[in-house]
Amino acid sequence: MSQSERMIDIAGVHKTFVADHGTVTALEPVSITIKEGEFISIVGPSGCGKSTLLRLISGLDQASGGSIKLDVSGRKRPVGFVFQEPVLLPWKTIIDNVRFPLDTSGVSRAQGDKTALDLIKMVGLAGFEKALPRQLSGGMRQRAAIARALSDDPPILLMDEPFSAVDLLTRDNLNDELLRIWQSTGKTILLVTHSVEEAAYLADRVMVMTARPGKLKCIHNVELPRPRGEETKLDPAYHALVAQLRRDLRTPAGEAH
Amino acid sequence: MSGRFSAAVDYTLALAVLLFAWWFATGPMGLPTYLLPSPLRTWNALVTIALTGELWRHLGFTLQNIVLGLILGCIAGIAIAYVMTRFPKLAVWLDGPLVILQTAPKIALAPLFIVWFGFGVLSKIVLIFSLVFFPVFVGAVAGFRALDPKMKDLSKLLGLSSIQRFRQIELPAAMPEIFVGLKIGAVQALVGAVLAEWMSGKVGLGYLMTFASATYKTPLLFAAVLLTVVLGLLLHVALTILERRLLSWKGAARG
Ligand SMILES: Nc1ncnc2c1ncn2[C@@H]1O[C@H](COP(=O)(O)OP(=O)(O)OP(=O)(O)O)[C@@H](O)[C@H]1O
Ligand SMILES: [Mg+2]
Repeated sequence: MSQSERMIDIAGVHKTFVADHGTVTALEPVSITIKEGEFISIVGPSGCGKSTLLRLISGLDQASGGSIKLDVSGRKRPVGFVFQEPVLLPWKTIIDNVRFPLDTSGVSRAQGDKTALDLIKMVGLAGFEKALPRQLSGGMRQRAAIARALSDDPPILLMDEPFSAVDLLTRDNLNDELLRIWQSTGKTILLVTHSVEEAAYLADRVMVMTARPGKLKCIHNVELPRPRGEETKLDPAYHALVAQLRRDLRTPAGEAH
Repeated sequence: MSGRFSAAVDYTLALAVLLFAWWFATGPMGLPTYLLPSPLRTWNALVTIALTGELWRHLGFTLQNIVLGLILGCIAGIAIAYVMTRFPKLAVWLDGPLVILQTAPKIALAPLFIVWFGFGVLSKIVLIFSLVFFPVFVGAVAGFRALDPKMKDLSKLLGLSSIQRFRQIELPAAMPEIFVGLKIGAVQALVGAVLAEWMSGKVGLGYLMTFASATYKTPLLFAAVLLTVVLGLLLHVALTILERRLLSWKGAARG
């Protein structure tokens, strides 16, 4: 299978919300072409339209203008989405939640259970299969949501601050786990984060966005060698990039800090 | 477990005290039978109709009407509530008539139901239905409207069919509110069933009461009243069990 050069093709996409008190420009026109198998991080201050962009790509919201094309050859569910909150079904156990996308697309129970159990183990929730969401901590729920997003193996994975409710140590582990999944499955991943370190560590490219109005400020190529690991975090190039990202985020926002 | 056990002890004790007071009033205090029959006489009246088979006929009829009215009222209440929340334009049209119907005292409409639907079983089920429908409907509307928009995102993302969305997300999410309505409806259903039988027909616990009081058979009247109370308790227990099963995920559902 040849890799698509234009897995996600975003051309001049913008979004304006109409609210009671007038209109809100959530996103000024954005254009970017993302290759199949690319890992993109998105950083930016609160309210700069990161979630909005992911929702537009997933088709949950319609753009006010511009076009978004996904090269997914008619798959019914091209994107997996890890929302900013876990959004688990509170009446279903963890394994039932993880299996939910499979159950609703006609996969056999046995096959679904097998996939779900593997994923639950992978996100470190082994032993909690039969627990209900309310019995788990926020970070554990979020990990269950990640397992659910992966369960029906979507070619594109959108993640909206998936690790913000997780402690730093677990977060490092999940980052490495995510890189492993990404490398073994060749998924195209867009990940929103508030951590510039995380963005630099994971991505092929980092999109930097600014707020009021939300827009794409610049894109950095991350030239750090793969596979990445602890030695990446010692690489001077990594530190230079992190510092650059910080500067990018700081300069325009005279009021934000 | 120990909580349930001590609750059982509580109930048994309360029952024993009541029974003793009853016996005391009829025995040592000597209240006449036409005012208050003794526990033994009441029991005998009950056994007599149980043996002739009459008891089961009356009890079965009332129970059947209640169950049918409850099921139909629930289905209609949930269905119409769902349609109204899915199609807000329809809600604009339906809201007015529904509010008028809802505020109309159904008990006062009972004679009309008899005129329209006859003396038989149909008018009784219609009355029970009308009593169950509204609380369930109101609960279901509240439940469906309160659906977390993030759940809608999830179903849209997964491309769920309407049936999947209803079955897997909307109905379970609204179940706690629906149950609030159902519990109110169940109490009303029993009242409606007995009342409908008072007014017309020749079967049911309500009929048994009117028959017994018209013929001054106070022990039989008492037996019928007691049966109705027991029926109400059973209904309550059945709903509580159902609630425990369906809503255990809410946690700490004590009732
Ligand atoms: N449904 C909506 N209706 C009106 N305005 C909205 C809506 N959704 C988002 N907005 C506005 O669009 C802008 C961007 O919102 P968005 O959620 O994309 O920000 P974000 O970058 O994800 O922020 P955060 O980091 O806090 O999650 C905000 O100003 C927000 O007020
Ligand atoms: Mg956001």
